[in-house]
Amino acid sequence: MTSIVNLLPHLLNGIALGLLFSLIALGFMLILGLMEQINLAHGSLFALGAYFAYALCAARLPLPPDWLAVWAAVPLIWRFAAAVVLAPILVAPFGLILERLMRRTYGRDPLYGLLLTFGVAMVIEELIRVVWGTPDYMLPVPQEISGGFIMLDLIWSTYRFWAAGMAIVAMAVVWVIVERTRFGAMVKAGAHDSEIVQALGIDLTKLRVWVFVLGTMMAAFAGVIMAPLWGIRPHMGVDAVVPAFLIIVLGGVGSFWGAAIGGLLVGMVVGLSSAYASEWSMLSMYLLLLLVVTFRARGLFGKKSVLEV
Amino acid sequence: MAPARTIPTITWAMIVVWLIFASVPLWIEKVGLYHYLGVEILIFAMYALAYNLVLGHAGLPSFGHGAFFGVGAYAFGLAQFNIAANLWVCLAAAVGAAAVAGALVALFISHRRGIYYALMTIAFGQIFWFIAIKAHGLTGGEDGLLKIERLPATLGVTVFDLKSNVALYYFVLVVFVAVSFLLWRIVHSPFGRVVKAIKQNETRARFVGYDVWRFKAAILVISACLSGLAGGLFSMAQASAFPDVMSLHYSGYVVMMTLVGGGLVSFWGPVIGAVAFFLARDIIGAVTTGWMLWFGLSFVVLVLFKPEGIAGIYQSLAQRRAKAAAPVVAPNSQAR
Repeated sequence: MTSIVNLLPHLLNGIALGLLFSLIALGFMLILGLMEQINLAHGSLFALGAYFAYALCAARLPLPPDWLAVWAAVPLIWRFAAAVVLAPILVAPFGLILERLMRRTYGRDPLYGLLLTFGVAMVIEELIRVVWGTPDYMLPVPQEISGGFIMLDLIWSTYRFWAAGMAIVAMAVVWVIVERTRFGAMVKAGAHDSEIVQALGIDLTKLRVWVFVLGTMMAAFAGVIMAPLWGIRPHMGVDAVVPAFLIIVLGGVGSFWGAAIGGLLVGMVVGLSSAYASEWSMLSMYLLLLLVVTFRARGLFGKKSVLEV
Repeated sequence: MAPARTIPTITWAMIVVWLIFASVPLWIEKVGLYHYLGVEILIFAMYALAYNLVLGHAGLPSFGHGAFFGVGAYAFGLAQFNIAANLWVCLAAAVGAAAVAGALVALFISHRRGIYYALMTIAFGQIFWFIAIKAHGLTGGEDGLLKIERLPATLGVTVFDLKSNVALYYFVLVVFVAVSFLLWRIVHSPFGRVVKAIKQNETRARFVGYDVWRFKAAILVISACLSGLAGGLFSMAQASAFPDVMSLHYSGYVVMMTLVGGGLVSFWGPVIGAVAFFLARDIIGAVTTGWMLWFGLSFVVLVLFKPEGIAGIYQSLAQRRAKAAAPVVAPNSQAR
C-alpha cells in the first residue's frame, strides 16, 4: 500500500506531463489528421513561439528604447499574458508561408512533404541561432503562477498544474472547432473526400490554409506554455516534434481522442518510470511506442490513413 | 532470357570519380582547403552512398541512419579499448555492431513503408541517440568516447601508418573504392533488381512471389553495415566518437546530402551531395554564420522544384542538349 502512495505524486506529475505532451502534439495532429501532411517543422514553430514569448516577456524587442522602457514597466503578469496571446499570432505568418510552399507537394509522394518540412525546420532553427544566438534563455514566470504549493505533505509546482490546465483549455478549443463548428465539419469532410466537398462549392484550398494556421498557432502556443518548464534553446524544436509524432503514431492517426490519450499515456509512463530510473525515463516512451505499434500497427485508435500509402 | 541492357562491371563514371578523389591530396591545399576536409568528404560520401541503398534504390525513407553510423563509430572505439588495438579487428567490430543494430531495427520496421517507415526510423534513431547520451559507462555520455587512436594498417609484412591526414585519406579512399564498387554490384545484381521492383510496386512484387519482408530487411542491414563502416572510419579520423552524429539533425543531413546530390536518379548522386554539403559548410560558413540557413533554403528549393537534385539537373541539361543536337527524333526514343 505504501508503495502505491509513494507512486501517487509521480502519477499526478505524469498526468500533468501527459496533458502537456498532448498540447504539443495537438497542432501536429490537426495538420496530419485534417490535411494528411506531416509537418516536421512543427517543433521549429514551437521553438519560435517560445522565443517570441521570451522577446515579449523580457522586453527584448526591436523597438525604440523609450517604448521598450514603457513596456518593461508593465507588470510581468500582463507581459506574460500578452506573450501567451501574441506569440502564436506572430508565428502564424510562418505557418502561412510554409503552407504556400507545401502546396506544391500536395498530391505527390508524401515523402516530399516530409523532406520539405525537415528542410524548413533546419532553416528556422538556424534562423533562431542567427537572431538569438546559442545561449539558453529562461522565460520569466509571473509570481502569481510560479512557486509551489503543499498538498498531501508534498510540494507541487504551481506552474506545472497551471500549464496542464492551459493544455486542457487548448484541447477543448480545438475539439470545439473541429467537432462542433461548420468550419470543422467542412474540413473533416474535405479530408474524407476532397472531390465531393469541392463539387459542393467549398473552397478547400482556403480552408486548408486556416487549418494550417490553426496548427501553427497551436504549436507556438505550446511553445510558450512549455518554455518555462523546458528552457529556451535553438534545438528545443526537436525535443518537441519527436514526442509529438510519437504520440500521434501511438494514439493513431486522425483520431482526436487518440492524440489526447496517447499524450496522457506517454506522460504517465514517463512519470512512473522516472520513479525508478529518472535518467532513463524518456526512453520509456519509445519502448511504449514499440510495444503498441508492434501489436497494433495503426496505433490505439487509428484509422486507415495516408501514412500507409 | 538475356537482360535487355547489360550493366558493365566497371563504368567510366566510376573510374572518373575514383581518379578525381585520388588526385584530391595533390591540389586541395592549393585551393585554400585542407586535407582533413577531404577525409570527411570521402567518409560521408561513403555513408551517403550506403544510405542511398535504402532511400534511392529501395524507396524506404529512413530518417534514423545516424544510429548505424554512430554505432559503428562507438564500436570502433570500444573494440580498440577492450578487444584489440588492431585496425582490422576494430573495423570488423564497427561493421558487425552496425549489422546487429540494423537487424534489430529491420525486425520491427520491415513490414512498413512510406511515411510510417520514416517515423519509425526517427523513433529508433532517437532510441540509439538517447542510449549513447545516457550510458556514460559505455559511451562516455555527452563528452563522447575520447582518445581513439588512428591505428596502423598492417598488410602481411608491410605496415602503413595512418597518423597523417594524407595517409588516412588514401586508406579511406581504398575503402571507398571497395564500398562503391560493392554497392554498384549490389544495385545491379538480381537481388538489387528485386529491391527496385519492391520500390516500384511492393504489392506486385509480393504477388510475383518474392518475400518482400526479407528483401527490405536485407537491404537495411547491408546499408547499416556500410554506414557503420563509415562511422568507424569517422571515429578514427576525428580520434573520438560523439553522440551528435546519431542525432536527428545528423540523420537528416545524410538525407539532405543524398537528395541534393541526386540520389533518387543517379548512383553517384550521394557523392556529389556529400561534396556539396561540406563545401557549403566550409565556404558559406567562412563568409557568414548560419550556413545551414542557406544550405537549408537551397534544399527546400530543390525539394520543391527539382527533387532529382544536382544529378537530375545535369541529366535534364544533357537531355536538352541532345534534343537540340538532333531535333528530329522518334517520339518513343524519349521514353526513358
